[in-house]
Amino acid sequence: MMETTEHSPEAAVSVHLTLNGVPVTAEVSPNAILLDVLREQLGLTGTKKGCDHGQCGACTVHVEGRAMNACLRLAVMCEGQAITTIEGLAEGGRLHPVQQAFLDHDAFQCGYCSPGQIMSAVALLEDRRVPGDVTTVREAMSGNLCRCGAYQNILAAIQDARLRRHGQEGGDDA
Amino acid sequence: MTAIPEHHVVGRRTPRVDGEDKLTGRADYTVDHRLEDMLYGYPVPASIAHGTLESLTLDAARAMPGVVDILHHGHFPDLHRSPNSLRQGDAVSEVRLPFEDDRIHYHGQYIALVVAETFEQARAAAFRVKARYHRDAGVVTGLAASDDTGEEVGHYMRGEPELAFGIAPVILDETYTIAAESHLQLEPHATLAEWRDADQHLIVHESTQGVFYQRNALARIFDLPPERVEVISHYIGSGFGNKLFMWPHAVATAAAARWLGRPVKTVLPRQQDMMTTGHRPASRQRIRLGAEFDGSLASIQHDSLTETSTVDRYVDACGGATPSAYACDSVATHQRILPVHHGTPCPMRAPGEVSGVFALESAIDELAVALDMDPLALRLKNYAHQDPQRGLPWSSKHLDRCLESAAERFGWASRDPRIGSMGDGDEIIGQGMASATWFAGRQPCAARVTLRADGSVFAACGTQDIGTGTYTIVAQTVAELTGVPVGRVEVRLGETRLPAGPLSGGSMTTASTLPAVAAATRDALAALQEVATGPGGDFDGLYPASLGVEAGALVAEGRRVNFAEILARHRLSGVTGEGSTAPGDERQAYSFRSFGAHFVEVRWDPGISRLRVARVVSSIDVGRAINPVAARNQVEGAIVMGIGMGLLEGLDYDPRDARLINANASDYRIPVHADMPELDVELLDYPDYRFNEFGARGIGEIGLTGVAAAIANAVYHATGKRLRDLPITVETLVSPD
Repeated sequence: MMETTEHSPEAAVSVHLTLNGVPVTAEVSPNAILLDVLREQLGLTGTKKGCDHGQCGACTVHVEGRAMNACLRLAVMCEGQAITTIEGLAEGGRLHPVQQAFLDHDAFQCGYCSPGQIMSAVALLEDRRVPGDVTTVREAMSGNLCRCGAYQNILAAIQDARLRRHGQEGGDDA
Repeated sequence: MTAIPEHHVVGRRTPRVDGEDKLTGRADYTVDHRLEDMLYGYPVPASIAHGTLESLTLDAARAMPGVVDILHHGHFPDLHRSPNSLRQGDAVSEVRLPFEDDRIHYHGQYIALVVAETFEQARAAAFRVKARYHRDAGVVTGLAASDDTGEEVGHYMRGEPELAFGIAPVILDETYTIAAESHLQLEPHATLAEWRDADQHLIVHESTQGVFYQRNALARIFDLPPERVEVISHYIGSGFGNKLFMWPHAVATAAAARWLGRPVKTVLPRQQDMMTTGHRPASRQRIRLGAEFDGSLASIQHDSLTETSTVDRYVDACGGATPSAYACDSVATHQRILPVHHGTPCPMRAPGEVSGVFALESAIDELAVALDMDPLALRLKNYAHQDPQRGLPWSSKHLDRCLESAAERFGWASRDPRIGSMGDGDEIIGQGMASATWFAGRQPCAARVTLRADGSVFAACGTQDIGTGTYTIVAQTVAELTGVPVGRVEVRLGETRLPAGPLSGGSMTTASTLPAVAAATRDALAALQEVATGPGGDFDGLYPASLGVEAGALVAEGRRVNFAEILARHRLSGVTGEGSTAPGDERQAYSFRSFGAHFVEVRWDPGISRLRVARVVSSIDVGRAINPVAARNQVEGAIVMGIGMGLLEGLDYDPRDARLINANASDYRIPVHADMPELDVELLDYPDYRFNEFGARGIGEIGLTGVAAAIANAVYHATGKRLRDLPITVETLVSPD
């Protein structure tokens, strides 16, 4: 935890993150938002800013495995936490199965909301508590706005990724 | 859909060539760019809508850490205005320069631009800027609150519409209103400006639908030759019209970068984006129809009033589609505009026509009810087999096929027309339909194609891909003509250093761009044929044009030599072709429009006051779809936007002071995943070769037209309430009549 040292309001604070599996230390301003630190300071611009108010979901990242809006977290709140961004999904140059499903189903147009949609979809598919029926998926994905309106294809991509994943695991649906 | 032969790429399902970049976060949108030594701009918006800025108190903000400067009226360079000419290619969205004077014309107008070392510092200081205003009396909060009928800016007439209306046995006279709508494109407007060569060269990254328009406008404003201004826009987080022409933030940012001698990036906060970068203006439309008892239309009169701002004259021409919509001898349209104290409106997807089609297609439905006629039959009864506005044949019109096909898939024949007669459990089912239409236009375009030594192909055009798939269809076109696989075609768009391309707007990009790309590709192939048939060439002595092109190789006399081998033999890095195309005289002989039909099922649950769109079945005729998957995606997305227009969306301006109340992505509601109905979209496949060699008419806008009318018509069928004001909200359904 943080030492109880005197901080002037503007003095930078060191934050230690595990970012896409790599330990990173960032010197951040106390009022810096995680989203802005990722994008402007750490150069990970795949996470997008659409509204900066937790309304659109374009900035969705995984914090300790949970999907969260990076625009609603101060960077200093993330001390010691593991954060995964869209850049951390593909492994060994191969698209994550959800990214591949988005490509196969044309589940995007302008692509600006896509990183957030994908991060939410990945978290959704990994959350065994969330049933896999389309009504639930639509409801669960409703925090991610797509103004191009590619919702039908996004839904198809998510459900396809679910099928492929279960095919691989040989497991049944929760 | 007709089967596409194996070796063809155009017309075939092709994954987007930019998909992987977008889905991995690699795609470089404007907001993603950074430069060494870059500063951050953060605008300060006016908190009143009509008055004078009396003073700014900047001491506290200036003393904040990292603040480099604060630009404002009185502390800003002298600049020129852009002539704002479409013809000269320098149109802008707001002519007034930032900080030009101390007048405030709308809520959110910039009163200052804070520039600081970091984004956090700029934002923090912007909130410390204090302003004193003098509010003026007479604020105009919107057309709904005004009796002023505005100024007439356009009209059309044929026949004797007033006379015919006066003697028609069945008449209808109703007024329809639509709230102002926000584009709410997810990437906010953003500018990164950098000056080089002792302030003689300006490079701007901008999220724009028109790099050349912005380049030309910036050149006029900063008094530079156009070749000394570059505008770059590789990826655009969509636009829907509000990124067609430059807004003041770009001018302020470029001026700040020159003033301070460092690059400056400004990304508009969402609230400011919604206040200052345009919207579909609110409209009020009166439709008068006169008809015979058999349903024949005798008269159509369509009077429209739309808002503009007090600083610009934006005309949202609602009546644009009306003169050619139906076979009717007497038609008149009038367009008026009313200045109000809002930011300047701008085109928004299917501008004008989508508003007009809502009113007209609602009125046609009302007429069908008055005549006790099926609304589909009424539309077919008045079918315009040729363009009644211009007296010319249509190049290709299959609206009848759209109506019939969509009706069949929807199950229209089993609809019980009696109000509220169809139910399912607690829900009352309403079914409605409407026609869709959007004009087909084409712009001049230039392109360059290089066949490269490694066998790949490079294609370049200064148009943009706003999410519609332009990168992909350009690659498909080059692949089609060269036989080189799509994956080996590199496409570069969105730069003013490239050959001049059209705006990404008006559904004109495909029809404008592909002929130029094809011409450039053929020119490059001709250059290669010339090399190959020259001295020492693989086909030395043959007539160049006699060489065939097949799968990335030239072929003749049973021999086949790859492009790469030919280039290697001559030690060439590549051969390049140029293409430049423009619309021809086809418009003298034909009228060009796209058509479609939407059938909508709504479900109204009076017990819990829930109204939802459950099902949409559409058939759309846009000629040929170059990439059927991307094309269908566009139409589906447009239908989703239409659900927003019908049931959700409206900018709320305070009726006391014209302040914009809901300038955020939550209080301004757009459709989310959970709002998605069942969608069944069919694209007819009737290539329009009279329009261009690819038979494509463009697809961005048409899907939106007619959706809101079909919803309103379905709501009437379910509830008996004829709702003529958009958005339709649950409150209007539960209130007594």
